[in-house]
Amino acid sequence: MGRSNTRVILVICAAALVLVLLSAGQYGSSSLAISYVREGYYGFDKAVSAPFSFIARLWDTYIGLVNTSRENEELRKQIDKLRVQCMSMNDLRAENKRFRAMLDFKEAHQEYSLIPASLLSQDITLIFKTAIIDKGTISGFHIDMPILSPEGIVGKVVAVSPHTSQILLITDPNSAIPAIIESTRVKGIIKGRGGNLLSLEYVRRTENVKIGDCIVTSGLLGMFPKGLKIGYVQEVKRDVNKIFSDIVVKPCVEMDKIEGIFGIDQNMEVPN
Amino acid sequence: MIRIWKFQISLLAIFLVAVFLEVTIIPSFWAPLRVDFFIGMIIGQVIFVQFSQGLSFVVVATLLLQAFSGARLGLIPLIYIAIFLAVDLLKNVIYLENVFTQALLGIIFFWGITSAIALITGSHLLEEMNISLIAGLVLTGLITPVMASVVGRLQAAYEAYES
Repeated sequence: MGRSNTRVILVICAAALVLVLLSAGQYGSSSLAISYVREGYYGFDKAVSAPFSFIARLWDTYIGLVNTSRENEELRKQIDKLRVQCMSMNDLRAENKRFRAMLDFKEAHQEYSLIPASLLSQDITLIFKTAIIDKGTISGFHIDMPILSPEGIVGKVVAVSPHTSQILLITDPNSAIPAIIESTRVKGIIKGRGGNLLSLEYVRRTENVKIGDCIVTSGLLGMFPKGLKIGYVQEVKRDVNKIFSDIVVKPCVEMDKIEGIFGIDQNMEVPN
Repeated sequence: MIRIWKFQISLLAIFLVAVFLEVTIIPSFWAPLRVDFFIGMIIGQVIFVQFSQGLSFVVVATLLLQAFSGARLGLIPLIYIAIFLAVDLLKNVIYLENVFTQALLGIIFFWGITSAIALITGSHLLEEMNISLIAGLVLTGLITPVMASVVGRLQAAYEAYES
């Protein structure tokens, strides 16, 4: 009996050795026997640990919920705080972008002395297109001073006080600026229509004006420097009974979205 | 007499807050939107305050309003004084205390002011009429009874304080 037991043990040991030798160096694909062993162990482990796992899950998802809800509340508060911070970061990013555009514009137009300003308020009526800015005579603003933004011309100063100025936007019906079509050099007067668009007036019907033509200041009368962008031709109507064409121009600057603007001081010497 | 002064100064303070909302806060949310708070105050003046007091308030307030507009000097006072006189005349014809009447008057006068100035200046705004103008009309209609009620409550508060 003892002899046969020893034999069995020896056979098992030999079989185990064979298995070990067979699977040696085969990390990529385990032998079938080893797979069975692992699968067996997996089943055993699952069976033994299942009750413990159940108890642990019960603790985590039910009994431990008291702390979780508190933690959840704190996390939610943190998320709210982060959201607010994120919003302010977005604002800062937008502001940074605007300031960068203003700086780029100022660097690109070193021939002018530009004084930056911000919008304080808009006109109280819908028809008149004026705005009040936060710079006045103390900062060098004066009546008839041209106002522009990085996108193009905005208007001119019509009234000043020490710390504020009232600007007449180019979309106001009372605004009129000598202008020229950049490509064809056709001259006209840009007038506000009261809405968001402009009219290019006194352009003869026979003149070559196309949709998309860029309109710039002509520099006549000396108020606005030459070559500042005003807008693009949006619509051209030619009536055989009229001498002049009806030309609608879309301004480069979206007047509803003006934030950072500049006053051009043509009297000041440009710093080197 | 002192009560009248106090009342007028309080009204002026409310008016200035309304102007701040009108020219800075509301346009910062939506630039082409304008809401007229002053029509409601005029209606409130006509209903609750004596004619002379109401008229003097309208004159002073509209002169201040002129600072926030590119309109020719005198145009804004002219328009609002005309509205004040029109509402005062209407007082004898229609029941002004009704909230819906006030809202309707707010819309009509706001539309009237906009059209009149557009006509005078040759503006194309009404041709390019957009959603902001309609929103302005609706909001003015909503705010008009509120502002009229503010004037009434303020008057009642000062009267109660005096008695």
